[in-house]
Amino acid sequence: MDLTPNDEQEALRFATIAWLEGNMPLAEARNRAPTLWSGMKEMGWLEMTRPEMGLDHATEALIFAELGRFLAPVAALSTAVAARWTGLLDKVAVALRGHVLDTVGTTSALGLFDGKAGLIEFAAESATHGLDLSTLQVRLDEMPSPSLIDEPLAALHFRLLAAAYGVGCAEAAGDMATEYAKVREQFGKPIGSFQAIKHICADMAVRSQVARSQLYYAACALDAGDADTAFYVAAAKRLADQAALENGRANIQVHGGIGMTDEAQPHLPLKRAHLLQFVAPVETADLL
Amino acid sequence: MDIGFSAEEQRFREECRDWLHSNVPDERRPLDAADALEFDKAWQRRLFDAGWAGINWPAEYGGRGFSIVQQVIWLEEYAKAKAPWIGANFVGVNHGGPTLIANATDEQKAFHLPRILKAEAIWCQGFSEPGAGSDLAGIKTRGRVEGNELVVNGSKIWTSFAHVADYQELVLRTEEGSERHSGLSWVICDMHAPGITVRPIRKMSGMTEFCEVFYDDVRIPIENVVGGLGNGWTVAMSTLSFERGTGFIADQVKQAQEVEDLIETATGNGMIGDNRIAEELAQLRAEVAAARAMTYRNISEVEKRGQPGPEASVIRVFTSELGRRIETMGVRLMGEEMLDFRYGDDDQVQDYLRGFASTIAGGSSQIQRNIIGERMLGLPRSR
Ligand SMILES: Cc1cc2nc3c(=O)[nH]c(=O)nc-3n(C[C@H](O)[C@H](O)[C@H](O)COP(=O)(O)OP(=O)(O)OC[C@H]3O[C@@H](n4cnc5c(N)ncnc54)[C@H](O)[C@@H]3O)c2cc1C
Repeated sequence: MDLTPNDEQEALRFATIAWLEGNMPLAEARNRAPTLWSGMKEMGWLEMTRPEMGLDHATEALIFAELGRFLAPVAALSTAVAARWTGLLDKVAVALRGHVLDTVGTTSALGLFDGKAGLIEFAAESATHGLDLSTLQVRLDEMPSPSLIDEPLAALHFRLLAAAYGVGCAEAAGDMATEYAKVREQFGKPIGSFQAIKHICADMAVRSQVARSQLYYAACALDAGDADTAFYVAAAKRLADQAALENGRANIQVHGGIGMTDEAQPHLPLKRAHLLQFVAPVETADLL
Repeated sequence: MDIGFSAEEQRFREECRDWLHSNVPDERRPLDAADALEFDKAWQRRLFDAGWAGINWPAEYGGRGFSIVQQVIWLEEYAKAKAPWIGANFVGVNHGGPTLIANATDEQKAFHLPRILKAEAIWCQGFSEPGAGSDLAGIKTRGRVEGNELVVNGSKIWTSFAHVADYQELVLRTEEGSERHSGLSWVICDMHAPGITVRPIRKMSGMTEFCEVFYDDVRIPIENVVGGLGNGWTVAMSTLSFERGTGFIADQVKQAQEVEDLIETATGNGMIGDNRIAEELAQLRAEVAAARAMTYRNISEVEKRGQPGPEASVIRVFTSELGRRIETMGVRLMGEEMLDFRYGDDDQVQDYLRGFASTIAGGSSQIQRNIIGERMLGLPRSR
């Protein structure tokens, strides 16, 4: 039993962060370079768990949490799952109930249909920005019927990666708030010295740690073929969604007026959190 | 990363399970103080005789010297077997003994450690005072040095098990005119010494588990000081690190069991049909799973890097508040039946009322949040 990353995983994580800082800063989340997708593909993140790669879900979850922290394109989730279970190596968008997300350069999407992972085909012409300014989306009044992936683990894999994005998103909001609380001064001192603000930041850190811990456990359960994997993954996704949403809101409160502006960044993780909650959403029954 | 245990660890788990299965007493821990004391002593003695006492104590002091992973396994099996709460032996076994091991002289260790493990001596913790709770450095109880004795005057409060204790970890001010963290000493106080008066305090649950302790010219040999005169703050911090140490492991395993029991109750009485109840139970179930994941993560961290960091406060805030919500759900499922609670009843209401301690004692949730904010996140100090 060991729920901490090993040296190799840490090295991979740091390399990931370095690349993301250079190529995908959060501040530019709504203006991603068109070449970004091919860069991510080159980094190998989109097919990490294909059998010939020899990497486990625990490593993948670590990396995807970092991607999530930078509000990376959401199609990385669906593409990685499709690569693992169908061998498809092209970009695959994310299918929700009535939307398809991150549609540029693809006409197929992966989503959950009655708890099973499946692929649909869609027409991409009308893609627009919605609430999450970093994601182009298409609204579908009628979901085409999916071709289901004949492997129950695909759905768990998809949910796990979405949880990893949620963990990263929650941490992004928490870090942003904590950094701001150190530098913004009122009444002659940093606002982070006021307990009312300090405790909001502490709560954000607790939520992030809780969600990250469960993410690790769930990833290991999936790797080990644990009998309760479905529950562990559902718990990870539920806690990640909650952490991302609550931290997203708290971050804006810590920023005060500037936090409500379009120009400042705090709304970006919040809006991403709202989007992620609809990706492989968890029902009460999944947890009981 | 992996969540599996080695074959050796699995065998160890079997060993724990087998022993607990045939040794855990059927009767619950009595609520009456005298009966409870006998019960606690008998159970500790049984653990000792079978070699299970002091799981985190080094073997040279009579302990088992378990690795932290073995401790987790033992505590998991302990909770699953519904083995008794450690009760009156808590202070001696969990932090009094470990503090002595880390700071005391060979004579002090040789005398006290075996007595603690065999439950021949019960210990209590005299840190908090009426004016010094969260702010421990505000201690006013004094010990005047007179020859080779300390003459102690003052009072302590919230001292759990003082009414049944033989010894106390007493932190007092031994340097005249000293302030805050300096001039304090950590002393072994004989609770049977003349001049000590113990007045039990009844809790809102009806139990009398903690007390006020008054010291009126109590004479304590200076050789009872642990870690050196004037070094009390440092020794007290080591006590708190043991007190806050692996205690959460047991809590977290127990919580998982409690949530499963609540789901069973709610299924049995039909209340799970209420969406709000089902939703909250699902949430609790997800959170106790995460509490285990956090515990495992923390343990892996300790194994790799020695001590846990301020992240221990994250676990503490999370699991203590989670515990409070579990207990709240417990009474929610009772409905109006809750109103029939009387002092002396040992049920969900008792657990609920008692449970308020978890976010107050040993560093309140607010203090833990200060620690997270200042020591983990690096936010500026508030004071
Ligand atoms: C069941 C139980 C058993 C106990 N057993 C023992 C024992 O055996 N030995 C022993 O020595 N002590 C014991 N204690 C005492 C315990 O350590 C104290 O109750 C605790 O440290 C809080 O101190 P206090 O009660 O004086 O509350 P206070 O410190 O007065 O706190 C009151 C409120 O103010 C808040 N507060 C205080 N300071 C701050 C701050 N800086 N920032 C934000 N909020 C703050 C607290 O969080 C709390 O909500 C026990 C307590 C309980 C409940």
